[in-house]
Amino acid sequence: MSLSPLDRKVLRDLWRMRSQAFAIALVIAAGVGMVVMSLGMMRSLDATRDAYYDRYRFADIFAPAKRARKSLLAEMGDIPGVSQIEGRITAGATLDVAGISEPITTRIHSIPASGEPRINALVLRSGRWPDPNRPEEVLASEKFATAARISLGDSVDALLYGKRQQLRVVGTALSPEYVYAIGPGQLFPDNRRFGVLWMGEEHLAAALDLTDSFNEALIRLDRAAVPDDVIAKLDNMLARYGGVSAYPRAEQISDRFVTNELAQLRTMTGILPPIFLGVAAFLINMVLSRLIDAEHDVIGLLMAFGYRGKAIMLHYAKIAVALSIPGLALGIALGSWMGRGLAGMYQEFFVFPFLTYRAGADIYALASLATLFVVLFGVFQSVRRVRRMTPVEAMRPPLPPNYAGGVAKLISRLRWLDEPTRIILRGILRRPFRSALGSLGVAAALGLYITSAGSSDNVAQMIDILFDQANRADVMVTFAEPRDERALFALARAPGVWRVEPMRAVGAKLSGARKSKSDGLTGATAGSDLNRLVGIDGAIIEPPARGVLVSYGLANELDLSAGDPIDVQITEGRRGRFELPVAGVIKSAVGSPAYVDMAMIARRMNEAPLASGAYLGVDPARIDDLFRYLKATPIIAGVFLRSASRTGLEETIGETMGIVTLFNTGFSALIVFGVIYNNARISLAERARDLASLRVLGYRRSEVSYILLGELAILTLAGLPFGIIFGYYLSQWLSASLGGDLFIIPFGLSASTVAWAVLIVLLAALLTALFVRRRLDSLDLVAVLKTWD
Amino acid sequence: MASAPPLYRIEGLTKIYGEGDTAIAALRGVNLDVPKSAMVVLLGPSGSGKSTFLNIVGGLDQATSGHVHFEDVELTNLDDNGLTEYRRHHVGFVFQFYNLVASLTARENVALITEIADEPMEPAEALALVGLESRLDHFPTQLSGGEQQRVAIARAIAKRPKVLLCDEPTGALDSQTGVRVLEALDQVNRELGTTTLLITHNAVIAEMADHVLRFADGQLADSRPNPKRRRPGDMKW
Ligand SMILES: Nc1ncnc2c1ncn2[C@@H]1O[C@H](COP(=O)(O)OP(=O)(O)O)[C@@H](O)[C@H]1O
Ligand SMILES: [Mg+2]
Repeated sequence: MSLSPLDRKVLRDLWRMRSQAFAIALVIAAGVGMVVMSLGMMRSLDATRDAYYDRYRFADIFAPAKRARKSLLAEMGDIPGVSQIEGRITAGATLDVAGISEPITTRIHSIPASGEPRINALVLRSGRWPDPNRPEEVLASEKFATAARISLGDSVDALLYGKRQQLRVVGTALSPEYVYAIGPGQLFPDNRRFGVLWMGEEHLAAALDLTDSFNEALIRLDRAAVPDDVIAKLDNMLARYGGVSAYPRAEQISDRFVTNELAQLRTMTGILPPIFLGVAAFLINMVLSRLIDAEHDVIGLLMAFGYRGKAIMLHYAKIAVALSIPGLALGIALGSWMGRGLAGMYQEFFVFPFLTYRAGADIYALASLATLFVVLFGVFQSVRRVRRMTPVEAMRPPLPPNYAGGVAKLISRLRWLDEPTRIILRGILRRPFRSALGSLGVAAALGLYITSAGSSDNVAQMIDILFDQANRADVMVTFAEPRDERALFALARAPGVWRVEPMRAVGAKLSGARKSKSDGLTGATAGSDLNRLVGIDGAIIEPPARGVLVSYGLANELDLSAGDPIDVQITEGRRGRFELPVAGVIKSAVGSPAYVDMAMIARRMNEAPLASGAYLGVDPARIDDLFRYLKATPIIAGVFLRSASRTGLEETIGETMGIVTLFNTGFSALIVFGVIYNNARISLAERARDLASLRVLGYRRSEVSYILLGELAILTLAGLPFGIIFGYYLSQWLSASLGGDLFIIPFGLSASTVAWAVLIVLLAALLTALFVRRRLDSLDLVAVLKTWD
Repeated sequence: MASAPPLYRIEGLTKIYGEGDTAIAALRGVNLDVPKSAMVVLLGPSGSGKSTFLNIVGGLDQATSGHVHFEDVELTNLDDNGLTEYRRHHVGFVFQFYNLVASLTARENVALITEIADEPMEPAEALALVGLESRLDHFPTQLSGGEQQRVAIARAIAKRPKVLLCDEPTGALDSQTGVRVLEALDQVNRELGTTTLLITHNAVIAEMADHVLRFADGQLADSRPNPKRRRPGDMKW
């Protein structure tokens, strides 16, 4: 008998409440698990990226040029702030791989003669480094080799600078600059049709006529360096060598996507999990308050016998903490496991050579403390509420309800209501606040479910906007260099092509009042059909006659609004510099951040309208003929297929998002069940005596069940509309908050998702009803007669 | 009463429930001295204010006006904490409804009080006093109403309180068990000198008192000593 009687009571109460404790644990586990999972995944990806960049010396600045002497590198290395510099050769090429009919777009980088790259170092994943004495040997990016079914030792045909070369893959590699590997102008990885190759510098230089020269410098900076100053100096030095404006790591395409995706994840983890935890905590608080209210007579008794307030508080705090701990433990375990799994899954999407898992004691502590704080606060409030009564008041059964109110009178006047229904309605109206909280709990759980499940709708909407409305070209080709209309006429005569529209991307540095970005401009033509600018709401947007249509993300970044001037510094061709007004700020699902009219920009640049590529409408029956044609056409630098991008997107984002959505949905389903079950259990506990008395008086089981389940049904149904409204706005808010600099997630909540969510709630209510029904059938009628006189 | 200082000195005790038109005066100016170690029985019709009186004296409820002096302390001046300490150290209660904790056994219900008492009996000892030595580990729902009430009495006497307040403790008991309970109370009163205030409907029980109080309509209608205090075993009803 070492345990004090109150501690025994703790244990017995917990045992008595075990099934309810289980439901409480599920709700807490959902809240905590969501936080631990999301933050763990987030941190792991951050830590992995940082470690990768650091270990493999990812460049801080990229400085492209046309052709610069290698001797210039030493001079560039003397710029204050530069800690390391390396020149390399980078070129675009198309590959012809056995078994793939379409030409494959590739980027080729040089490997220095001295051995391995020192900046943007490579992770050799299989095979060996190319032999410097064998010009045909190359490394291929691992994902590409796998997706394109290229084995070590396989040969591929490359069309490099207009010359056909046979290359042989002797190894596979990863690079920090291809964490997110996408072809030019693409948004999602298509590893089968875009790849990266690394080959010996000497041979690449010979093929491109760049011997003893480089066309790209990679720079690592000192910690204290100011990147903009270094870039300005680099631009100065390289201007004579066709430098087209050096850019910092933040503008490098892979890093940009990684950063953007992590920022989105961060937003998502900043919004949904806290809401989950908040809702879970609110529900637990509600459940505990009601449990403690039901113990008012015990509290009164303890007070009567001289138990001090603190001891009483401690007793209920122990129960509350004991009820929370299984949920916390389960949430932490589940959350960590899923967080690690999710972080791993992002490797489908982001290619890292390793995964540094980070969840951390602080996240566990934070989630646990937040939960316990709310739980204990609930205990404190409820115990204090009882303690404010005198012991006599507390020990007495609660005062009979005041039925004098107007609504109560109305209920009395409704003659056609049967007595059990009257009991239900009075029960609800007797404690309107508590009843409202019960419905609110259902609403919150439903809202979370809708929001979680709705993410898939948003992705579906995005895919629809991207591939059914915006980009409708079957094939997009990019040119090695901008071409005039003749290239387009030639394409129009290519096999299977029934429509050609120009694609124009102008290299440019755009500056607002304070900040600038080398984002370039996208030229568009009014009345395009194959590639249209589509707003987030699905509306078609035409290019502006004057000025620039700026995307929401860029407008925010450069602090621009309609009418502001943008300083445009062209970084290609004749390199003009002029000012254009912001014609408007648009929210498009995706795409380059700044749109101009193609003809207008050509005039401003003093050149004939040029195209950087073309959108093609193609007869599917003749697509292989087109591919054969494109493979043999030297000006084609890249070929992209809408269907392949779509599949790629569905497979990568769809899958990753799908799993995240599945987890979130699972967590919210737990909350839905937990809430409804708890609501019912507490009503049962509070009403057991009354219901047993009714049974004693001769009410049938079905009539007594009707009273309790009727209340449950009314509170659940009343919660549904509010839950739908809450879910709708939360999901809209979430999708709006996810808007990044590269794409914006549209809001596409579908009626079927809402219907499913409602169905889940009803299912939870039905299962709970069956369970409660069984309980009601075994009500102890004698106990009622015995303990109350 | 006696010349020694009384345990309680009660002056003008008034309790009004509610306000305005619906106000009910449960006590209307009760004056009384309760001597130390006395066995006091309170009689009176239902609704006459007995329970209200006992609850205020026991520090469970606040008086509307008037004073209750317990030894040197004025209860009516104590705040919530003061009343808690008063109940904890000096008062044992037996309630009209047994008020047992459903999730604790008989022994544990008693231990609930011995836990926080200064020089308590063993719970088993207290339960033996009320004849429940064979029911130590039963839960309240496994006991009859009478047995539950006896657990409540064991719980009240187990801490050897200075004062024992019993609100109709034998109301639900048959006469044989009732006598045993009253014997236990009588024994505690004689051996430990525990001042006992006992509410009952049963006028016969007044024979075991040193002093009999009769309540009527919120007032003390009659207060007289009982010169021939009898042992409960000798009483008949
Ligand atoms: N909490 C309360 N609210 C209002 N009236 C009460 C309350 N408690 C008792 N009363 C009233 O006070 C009077 C005295 O009650 P009580 O002391 O319980 O009587 P007794 O114990 O003598 O039967 C009764 O009229 C009763 O209705
Ligand atoms: Mg009474």
